[in-house]
Amino acid sequence: MADLQDELQSLAEPGDLLDTAQTAPLAPQPPPGSPQERARALLADHPVVDGHSGLPWALRDLAWYDLQLGDSGVDTDVLRLREGRVGALLWSLRLPERIEAERAVGATLEQLDLVRSVVAAHPEGLRLARSAGQVIDARNCGRVAVVLGPAGAAALDDSLGILRVLHTLGLRVLTLAGASWAGEAGLTRFGEEVLREMNRLGVLADVSGASDATIARALALSRTPVLCTRSAARSLRAHPDNLSDALLAELGAAKGLCLVPSSPERSGPGVQDVADHLDHVRAIAGPESVGLSGHAPGAGAAPGYPHLIAELLRRGWPETDVTLLTWGNMQRVLRSADFAARAARERRKPSAARISELDPTDA
Amino acid sequence: MTEPASLDAARGLLREFPVVDGHNDLPWALREQVRYDLDARDVAQDQHAHLHTDIPRLRAGGVGAQYWSVYVRADLPDAVPATLEQIDCVRRLIARHPRDLHAALTAADMEEARAQGRIASLMGAEGGHSIANSLGVLRGLCGLGVRYMTLTHNDNVDWADSATDEPRAGGLTAFGREVVREMNREGMLVDLSHVAATTMRDALDTTSAPVIFSHSSARAVCDHPRNIPDDVLERLPANGGMAMVTFVPKFVLQAAVDWTAAADDNMRAHGFHPLDTTPEAMKVHRAFEETRPRPVATVATVADHLDHMREAAGVDCLGIGGDYDGTAFTPEGLDDVSGYPRLIAELMDRGWSKADLAKLTWQNAVRVLGAAEDVARDLRATRAASHATIESLDG
Repeated sequence: MADLQDELQSLAEPGDLLDTAQTAPLAPQPPPGSPQERARALLADHPVVDGHSGLPWALRDLAWYDLQLGDSGVDTDVLRLREGRVGALLWSLRLPERIEAERAVGATLEQLDLVRSVVAAHPEGLRLARSAGQVIDARNCGRVAVVLGPAGAAALDDSLGILRVLHTLGLRVLTLAGASWAGEAGLTRFGEEVLREMNRLGVLADVSGASDATIARALALSRTPVLCTRSAARSLRAHPDNLSDALLAELGAAKGLCLVPSSPERSGPGVQDVADHLDHVRAIAGPESVGLSGHAPGAGAAPGYPHLIAELLRRGWPETDVTLLTWGNMQRVLRSADFAARAARERRKPSAARISELDPTDA
Repeated sequence: MTEPASLDAARGLLREFPVVDGHNDLPWALREQVRYDLDARDVAQDQHAHLHTDIPRLRAGGVGAQYWSVYVRADLPDAVPATLEQIDCVRRLIARHPRDLHAALTAADMEEARAQGRIASLMGAEGGHSIANSLGVLRGLCGLGVRYMTLTHNDNVDWADSATDEPRAGGLTAFGREVVREMNREGMLVDLSHVAATTMRDALDTTSAPVIFSHSSARAVCDHPRNIPDDVLERLPANGGMAMVTFVPKFVLQAAVDWTAAADDNMRAHGFHPLDTTPEAMKVHRAFEETRPRPVATVATVADHLDHMREAAGVDCLGIGGDYDGTAFTPEGLDDVSGYPRLIAELMDRGWSKADLAKLTWQNAVRVLGAAEDVARDLRATRAASHATIESLDG
């Protein structure tokens, strides 16, 4: 497939995005055979699936309900995604902290509406994807695929019906934290039913920020690999969302996926820090269980994923492992969720279970 | 009760032009009776002991399309999650009965269902409280397939006055008008049942698409605020919308209006919501009925409304919205969803032509939904989604 940036410049229709692209200074060409050049070549064929996109954060300072389209900096961010070789991203639906719990469902609908508005306003750059196949389609059309999620567990208001409705609206990843059924003690009976219904629908479980007990139970119960959308290695940096070596090993055994973020708090500030975490996760969980999440380090003016990949090549990562890291592992997990859902729907009807039946509060 | 002679002819007409019913509260009844346990109320089987509605009786009634109401009570702490559960219920019903029910979002879907001999299943939200003052939530409901929203239920919302509450906004507020415009843009029909006459007029002044009354009758025939005044009926031809006559005795028969006022007082005195249809509440209702016989509406009562609505609005602006499973009582002969052929037979006996009856049962409703789709297509080409808030418009 053609380099995304080249394809963008060959677009016939003029637009803001194109103008910006043409006025941007040309990046210097790296020498042939250098890690930078190999990184660019690899990323051209295997762009990054970004597990916790920076894109929504372009909107975080706006009053999220009165987005003024066209004046939001999204154009700039789409350009940065392309320069950073991002081919697909998860769009987090985390709610602003000032939203009270009882407003969570309506606020989640508004977040979904906001994403739709932004994607609809940038048809040249972004495309919603509801399945692994649609991610590939978007990429083949030169668009960045937007996968909706993760949303927090509070978005369900303890209702499997609402889970099904949010899935209909496109939700594909849900974090198993922030609800009574996914607490410190792990998944309750209702929590397990939520996970089974997620498997039936094809909604991936995200366990970043979940308790260790929830993570262990989700790994055992889920019929499709689980994600950690923004977790690094706890043995290198003690952030609560980071995974212990024991959980990383369990995640690897279950063919789950740890998407290592590039954040000062979780992985450390520099490219070297992030590369250290990636080395560690790859060593413990395996090359099939490591991915990328969040703004690449040292982004600043120049997008950082090519630099990060060049560093990994310098550290001796085989190219096949790099392509798994950027694109292949996430494709496998998305496809697995689709297959598992198709199989489960033959066996299982929509669950009518209610939290009051499964998790009675006798207190 | 003797069956009208035209009943066979009515059934024949309905085979070709089945009923589009504007309002049925089966989802709420399933929520209240069995917490959405669809096995416990399998509507593929006879459920007449529990419900007005099941598939065999819809078939017997000649129903070809149903707007399932995703109503939730306005006094819930948050109506949005409950509305989503109602939507999930309808979607599960449709998925469960694929040979009988056909998910419909458009006029073309309705025609497809009719051609296949299935019942087109649409959704309508009943009350602006279901969007929690948010246009984003409104668009979410539309994305889930909700094709009309009644602007209010029995209580005012922040941006619109109800027919059965104290006037506050005096119709629609600025945000209320923005809701109507956004519904136009989304292709969601503006439903003016339940709203105050002032709200009806404001909505007609604002909308660029046809409006509906999903279940309302004529105020000139029975003076109840839930019914439509003549000046509003007379505006429907220019708007292109339709009024779907409802059967609810306490709205269509004056004696029943008076009786219901007394019965509601009795329910409140026993600690029940007047609309409660749980077995315990119905027991209280029946005890009251023994002391004071309930006036009985008939097929003729409903036909009287349609005759008048036809005079006022014209035959192109009429439809049917029974409100089954949303009302404790029904007229004699229209006891459940199998009764529509008796209404059609009565109208035949009153001289309604087959062409007019085809408009009443099927054609008008399909035309109105299609017209709303056309308006939405035009508006989307010229206008971005509105991100207005009630704070910004109503202060």
